[in-house]
Amino acid sequence: MNLLARLKAARGGAQKLGAQAEQDLVAWQALPRAQQSRSHFETRYVVLNTEASGLDLERDRLLAVAALGVDGGLIRPADAYYARLEPAPAETLVGLLGVAGKNPIVVFNASFNRNMLERALQEQLGLTTDFLWIDLYFLLPSLFPEKLERPSRLGDWMAAFGIETFQRHHALGDAWAVAQLLLAAQSRALSLAVATPRALAEHEQAYRHKLKI
Amino acid sequence: MSNEAAKLLVGASTDFLRNFSPFDRMEAEALAFLAERAVLGFFPRGADILTPEMGVPAHFHIVQRGKIQARQTGSTTVTEYASLTLGPGECFPIGAISARRPSTNAYVAVEDSFCFQITADDFLHLMQISPVFHLFCTQYIASLLTQSRQQLQTTFAQRAAEQQTMTTALGKLIQKEPVFVTPDTPTRQALERMSELHLGCMVVVDAQKRPVGVLTQSDLLPRVILAGFDLARPVGELMTANPHQLPLSASAYDAALEMATHGVRHLLVVDVEGELKGVVSERDLFSLQRISLRQIRAGIDNAADIEALQRASRDIRQLALNLIAQGIGAEQLTQFISALNDALTRRIIVLAREQHDLLGIDFGWFAFGSEGRHEQTLSTDQDNGIIFRVAEGQSVDGARKRLLAFAQTVNEGLAACGFPLCKGNIMASNPELCLTFEEWKSRFGNWIREPDPQALLNASIFFDFRILFGNERFENQLRTWLNKTVKGNSTFLRMMAVNALKVMPPLGRIRDFVLEDDGTIDLKKSGARLFVDVARILALRTGVDSSSTVQRLRQASVKIGTSSEEVDAITDGFNFIQLLRLRSQHLETEHDTPDDNRINPESLNELDRRILKEAFRQARKLQLRLKLDYQL
Repeated sequence: MNLLARLKAARGGAQKLGAQAEQDLVAWQALPRAQQSRSHFETRYVVLNTEASGLDLERDRLLAVAALGVDGGLIRPADAYYARLEPAPAETLVGLLGVAGKNPIVVFNASFNRNMLERALQEQLGLTTDFLWIDLYFLLPSLFPEKLERPSRLGDWMAAFGIETFQRHHALGDAWAVAQLLLAAQSRALSLAVATPRALAEHEQAYRHKLKI
Repeated sequence: MSNEAAKLLVGASTDFLRNFSPFDRMEAEALAFLAERAVLGFFPRGADILTPEMGVPAHFHIVQRGKIQARQTGSTTVTEYASLTLGPGECFPIGAISARRPSTNAYVAVEDSFCFQITADDFLHLMQISPVFHLFCTQYIASLLTQSRQQLQTTFAQRAAEQQTMTTALGKLIQKEPVFVTPDTPTRQALERMSELHLGCMVVVDAQKRPVGVLTQSDLLPRVILAGFDLARPVGELMTANPHQLPLSASAYDAALEMATHGVRHLLVVDVEGELKGVVSERDLFSLQRISLRQIRAGIDNAADIEALQRASRDIRQLALNLIAQGIGAEQLTQFISALNDALTRRIIVLAREQHDLLGIDFGWFAFGSEGRHEQTLSTDQDNGIIFRVAEGQSVDGARKRLLAFAQTVNEGLAACGFPLCKGNIMASNPELCLTFEEWKSRFGNWIREPDPQALLNASIFFDFRILFGNERFENQLRTWLNKTVKGNSTFLRMMAVNALKVMPPLGRIRDFVLEDDGTIDLKKSGARLFVDVARILALRTGVDSSSTVQRLRQASVKIGTSSEEVDAITDGFNFIQLLRLRSQHLETEHDTPDDNRINPESLNELDRRILKEAFRQARKLQLRLKLDYQL
């Protein structure tokens, strides 16, 4: 059984994909996992963000997704993705995976965004992913305690850094703000010798452990 | 952009950029080009974004948020320009990236900052596709010139301030020991002393030498003569009590104000104990006022002898100093100096003519070289000659003899007034340079027909002629003849071009400047002359009558189709070099070292060095044009 067939089987009742999307998904599957012990400067992080019908993981539905690459410490407008799930949710998610690759993923508030995304990937594509997730919700207060001591809302962090975005509560609009926060976080982390995606994730874990979250 | 997300982000960047100049005026297509390519980066507080050590800048930055400080680097940093803070919408570097050379500033984030950046190639492409952006960058580079001029002003304003007499403390102004009497002194005795010492004002003091009154000349008529005052009575009865006094620390300006307020002509200056230290008169203050152009002119025109003209000559230098302090540009400054030197020379000629019999000789006094071009700096030696015509039946040699004797007097007078005798003997008292109209034509004609090195050198001096005194028609006639003759002789112009290209601008491939053995650059030989030589050729070729370099370039460019922006850039470069020459001469003469045109680029501040380099680039551009024209 070839890879494609295996995928189809795994996805079970998942929605049928167009030929191009099928191909893209296979290509994504075949990608090696990105290195996690290279410096920030040599790493492409991908900021993921979602728009949902509400904040209740059980009841609310994913409406739109956005991805924004932060490659070598720079945000490139061309390296971005935004799409609503309807009318073709599976293809939208394949598109998202295409931009995300298997790079370290950065979100703000993983407990919502990560769960929303992982569930949608499972439902629509039958996929279980094992991204390296980094959550700025915890990372920022651990790196910038002088600004905000405790995990805080995105709006508070934007205010603390004077960061603005073109549209709040829009998956890409917020991702743009998160990406800028990531730039600042990378720089501060580097000065603390937290120099790689792996180290960032560990730094976040240590902080959460300290807070007992 | 097909990608919706990219469209959104580019739109956001576009909206941001539109808040700032020049992006608010930028062509839509160019702005889209910029926003699509702009990537966002972050620099924590204290981070070096760009330093000279980083070499040719790879990126052009636009501050999105935060503060970036541009600091001049190097040992010759000048405080006024030491740093400049850039905020959102401002961009850097412009000069370095345009010229593809390392930045002379260090750009450091003084706050956590976000910057958009595009690559150097995209920057250059943007300059090409956007006239607005091109203009912005050009004006920015041009503004460096303005800044440099302002900085020059600061240097000189300080010096002028030291001489700025109206702020001088009265203590420094008093030169004579005060003369005084006590109140019980008989009036006759007091008046006798006033008369004897030519005093306008006698001070009356008490036993502690504190002023109690004054007696001025203007008091005498009403109070003594008309009142029939008994001169045997003590002066204390006659004096004006409670005289106006000022402390030693008060300024000349305070004194002028006090005099104006109270309508008095004398003020007493006292120390902290109230003891008389001196008297300041209205006249003392007047003589301190700055010398004005008009005063110098009047001084020259009324001068009766060489001594008076020597004073005027010193005043011209002083005025030049003041004018630089006021921020006047090189072109106007040299014109002022030239105008005053012309007036001075004319007066010397007029005075000399009174001593010599020149009856029946129609002549003109030639100024050559820099004087002929109206480009005299403060250390110009004499370059002059005479052109003349004799009446029918008169002897040419007889006239020449009389003119030579007259010229000798003028040359000596000029030397006495600070124009050194010409080492090469390019002076009217040289029989070779005191020629009739026909003789000059034949002399010039020979050089044009046989342009050997000496002839070309001569042409470079003598073709920049103008009549400074006498019959000015000689100038037009000779110029018209010269332009016509040269036009018909392309070999001569070609040889002039070869000659003009012998000296290259001292721009280095590795280092900024190519220096002479003593570590300096000769601003005349390898700077100003490059412009002057090309301008002369262009003027001869296009039949421009002016002898000034800037005018020649401007007028010729109209004929050969150089854009006015290009010409402005060239003349700016020339003027900057002239300004540097004037400045270094001025500073040097103040220190009593011999004038010359050498500067050590290390002694310039970063900004001036950059502009000097740009000026040399303009010279190179001008030379390149000549090279192409004559296929050299």
